[in-house]
Amino acid sequence: MSDKVTISIKRSDPSKGEAPHFVDYEVPTQEGMVVLDAVHYIENNIDPTLSVRWNCKAARCGSCSAEVNGLPRLMCKTRVDKMGSKISIEPMRAYPVVKDLVTNVSHNWEIAKRIPPFTPKPGLPKPWKMAAIDITRSKEFRTCIECFLCQDVCHVIREHESNYLGPKHMVKVAALDMHPLDSIDRAGFLHTDGGVGFCNITKCCQNVCPEGIHITDNAIIPEKERVVNEFYDPIGILLHRRKKK
Amino acid sequence: MMENKRRLSFISELVEPNWRFWSLVVILLLSAGALFLYPVSEYQGYVDPFYSPTVLVLPFIALFRLSCYAYRKDYHRHVFRHPMACLNDERMDSSKRKYTGETGFFALNNFHRYFFYIGLAILPFFYYDFYTSLVYESGFFIFRVGSILLLVNALLLTLWTISCHAFRHLIGGSVDCYSCLSHGSGVKKLFNGQSLLNRYHEQFAFVSLLVVVAVDLYIRALMAGWPVDFTFFKIAI
Repeated sequence: MSDKVTISIKRSDPSKGEAPHFVDYEVPTQEGMVVLDAVHYIENNIDPTLSVRWNCKAARCGSCSAEVNGLPRLMCKTRVDKMGSKISIEPMRAYPVVKDLVTNVSHNWEIAKRIPPFTPKPGLPKPWKMAAIDITRSKEFRTCIECFLCQDVCHVIREHESNYLGPKHMVKVAALDMHPLDSIDRAGFLHTDGGVGFCNITKCCQNVCPEGIHITDNAIIPEKERVVNEFYDPIGILLHRRKKK
Repeated sequence: MMENKRRLSFISELVEPNWRFWSLVVILLLSAGALFLYPVSEYQGYVDPFYSPTVLVLPFIALFRLSCYAYRKDYHRHVFRHPMACLNDERMDSSKRKYTGETGFFALNNFHRYFFYIGLAILPFFYYDFYTSLVYESGFFIFRVGSILLLVNALLLTLWTISCHAFRHLIGGSVDCYSCLSHGSGVKKLFNGQSLLNRYHEQFAFVSLLVVVAVDLYIRALMAGWPVDFTFFKIAI
């Protein structure tokens, strides 16, 4: 590993009309250094006006999402020595830039409001009880740290106008649909308002998830199959139409 | 160490989507040509997998492949470039090209399940072909290299078919409350087991197709008189 690395950061300040442009910084490297360390070095020693959102520095909070060498990653989980001698860092392209590496991801809260919420089966005795066997599938989805890397890498969200919720929200829908105490079926919602048909299963969301959630295989495709059950497969409708009671 | 890494990377490259998709295209074209120009349905007890049980099912099998989630990923990436790779696209031309995903023509992919039913129904014939290759000489049980190939072919096609996402849904993926079922624990175990296979569905799709072609070529080589047959044992029954 060389003593120094060039960090090329895409900087901009829309509030001042500053256009996006790359600025190169020379940063001394250390053993075990991650990209966020390099950004902090720049912020503390070279240019304190650099803006970056971060919090835990342990890949738990999902704040330091950015595009490192063109691929959405958590900066705190990306080692400098694996990324070459020149590393480019850009804000997430799917979202409007607030300043430098900070993006406004609040659009996700608007999407979340569209999802039919958890609706417990009527008349459930309290306290609610769930068997361990019933929560193993949705447990995987609970590890989502809401870093929005999957939303960022999704070409449908990033490059096209559609009503598709995006991978992160598909995970939420799957978690709700697979909840043993939930009483509603969201296949109809996904087929129409959720725009699930726009997902073409190219699995980029699954590739970038820092929590290793099998987004496409375990959330999106099972939800697509539920849509098939409801709208395309008469045999499936007869045999497997879920009637939650 | 480095050499091992390079070899592993070559193997992972081989099963990358582009290899898988373009090999499907090439194989479909070559087999269509071979089936029409030089048909070989059976030779010395070996039934060509393209003819099992009849060549008429081939269009359905092609549709089963083309509507498979593994291949869908491939052609959306490598034919339509939506997107070609997960790295950000510097050309940014994708947004200017029309994109309907699976809402327009490709909504037909939602009928994958029907082709799956056909694929599942055809599977026993491959095992029957294996059996036929063992007893094709009346009065003898004969075990040859070709029989092993037919068995491997049948097993790989089985693995590809039963690791299908549609099957995953049908055998337990649609259940939300396993404990509410009288046999819920068994269903969950079945689902978990299938999920293990499902993880390798893309690889099974690729390798199973290669083996189908390999068996076809093997039978053609035998017909051409190549010395590639070997009998392990032959017992009078």
